[in-house]
Amino acid sequence: MTGIVQLQTALETKSTPSGNRSSLPVSVLLSFAVIVFAVLFSAFPSLFTSHSPELGDTSAKLVSPGLHHWFGTDYLGRDVFTRVVYGSLSSVSSALAAVIIGLVVGSGIGLLAGFLGGWVDSALGRIVDVLLAIPGFLLAVVIVSSLGFQTINAAIATGVSAIAVFGRLMRAEVIKIRGAAFVESSFLSGGNRLQALIFHVLPNAGRSVLVLAILQFGTSIMVIASLAFLGYGDPPPSSDWGLLVASGKEYPTAPWLIYAPAAVIVATVLSVNRISRWLKKVR
Amino acid sequence: MGYTVSVRLSGYRNLVLSRLGQGVLVIFLAYVLSFIVVSVLPGDAITNALHDPQSGLSEEDIARIVAFYGLDKPVLIQLLLALGRFVTGDLGISLQSGLPVTDLVFDALPSTTFLALTALILALVLAVAIAVGVHLLPSGAAGILRSVPSFFLSVPNFVIGLVLISVFGFTLHTFTITEPNAPVATFFAALTLAIPVSAPLAEVLISSLDVEARQDYALVARSRGLSRVNVFAQHLLKPSALPSVTMVALLIGELLGGAVITETIFGRNGVGTLVQRSVGAGDQPVLLAVVVLSAVVFVLVNLIADLSVPLLDPRTSVTKKKKAVVS
Repeated sequence: MTGIVQLQTALETKSTPSGNRSSLPVSVLLSFAVIVFAVLFSAFPSLFTSHSPELGDTSAKLVSPGLHHWFGTDYLGRDVFTRVVYGSLSSVSSALAAVIIGLVVGSGIGLLAGFLGGWVDSALGRIVDVLLAIPGFLLAVVIVSSLGFQTINAAIATGVSAIAVFGRLMRAEVIKIRGAAFVESSFLSGGNRLQALIFHVLPNAGRSVLVLAILQFGTSIMVIASLAFLGYGDPPPSSDWGLLVASGKEYPTAPWLIYAPAAVIVATVLSVNRISRWLKKVR
Repeated sequence: MGYTVSVRLSGYRNLVLSRLGQGVLVIFLAYVLSFIVVSVLPGDAITNALHDPQSGLSEEDIARIVAFYGLDKPVLIQLLLALGRFVTGDLGISLQSGLPVTDLVFDALPSTTFLALTALILALVLAVAIAVGVHLLPSGAAGILRSVPSFFLSVPNFVIGLVLISVFGFTLHTFTITEPNAPVATFFAALTLAIPVSAPLAEVLISSLDVEARQDYALVARSRGLSRVNVFAQHLLKPSALPSVTMVALLIGELLGGAVITETIFGRNGVGTLVQRSVGAGDQPVLLAVVVLSAVVFVLVNLIADLSVPLLDPRTSVTKKKKAVVS
């Protein structure tokens, strides 16, 4: 896995933010709060709103945000906050599914490549090179157009386009740890490769893979929202966050239809990224 | 660390040749991979698209396209047929319009190239402005500026575009959305594309400036009585810029992927909208062509970056100088 891939890993290790020491943990606390709310929204939407996500009050169309309707109402008089809350489940869980796909397949590729080396490494390296050479979003669009327009397919597509980054990181970690003195000494004291993999390489690589997985969770929320925005997810009346923004843009006189769901997306992704950065630093 | 290539004069030629070989292989494999995604995955998209009554294709057209792609033959034969044409530069026929795919793509290309290049310039300007600000402003403002890249990375492309349209298009009337190719509208479309791309660039710049500023030579320059701005401009900027060459190359893909959303929102006609229309119509040969084209662009740009960094950076071309000393 030479060339592009090697350069990227070199760059990534170089570019870890060394500054930012003065940041307050308050922002991390706040980020955790946002994530907790996103999870609660997904699990128990009815606890947070008494409105229906699908039935609107036709006498209250396009009402601007206020005490009664926090995020206003849409062209059918549906409460936008309620739509956002009910859209959390598919928006958040599909991003989670995408990360799991990328994590499992990508780490598998990286582990094999880094541990076995030789021709396996170069063959898998070419596959990762190819996945890196195709713009991630374009790849996701093409895959979802082949599989069909559903949120679950958007999740699969997003996961496949994340395989390369996980593969690259895992391979770099394995090679780094494989050469460490404590792994060599485990070989000397009679350990075999499988033992070294399970007891030394995986636990040590786990941390940085976790940091990447969290970061990738934020990216996946954005990619899936973008796919939903283009209409490649579940059709209305489902209320994926990206889809809400897309239907909101038809009503320029009611800007809250765009701003409210967009703010929810940004707040969630910002929080996820903040947590990922914090984890990277406290290691 | 990493890519310190010890270059002998003939070694550099070998490097060029091996990278070229790898690049060709990656493009070839990208075609095979996207062919598999398009043809083998469940859902017979091509047949559906062909028999879509709205496509306006006649029975003869359909028969011609089926024979052309070998759609009545096994997938492996189809792949070989397609590869055979791909090697000669033929990307097939659009299922939607019956026109050659190459024509469709090359018609859309100039608009997207212009948009992407403008966005790249804007992203560079933004990234440099942020990095310079972080290093020269007083610590309070610099701290805020440091968190700007991670904020930029958390806002999806379509949100940026819609906010810009809503604020500058509908509220301030800086541009009209009905004329997407006017210079001001193009500027805002490019800005939409540039903001997410500028963030990783700014991060690389900031962290390599951090590293360089801690080096002894920076201290020496300061103690010679140079002002902070002078040290920055004369000593820190150049070595810090090199890692961003590689980063720019890696971000080219972002620009191409982001064009799908940006062009759709701003109503521009380009490769991105071509992709969007082809997805809607199940026009897989066009999608295949765009994917491969993006891979070609990515491989080429990264090849140029990989090969020029050792030439630009005196630290990585060690052996040439050694040779001179020895002889």
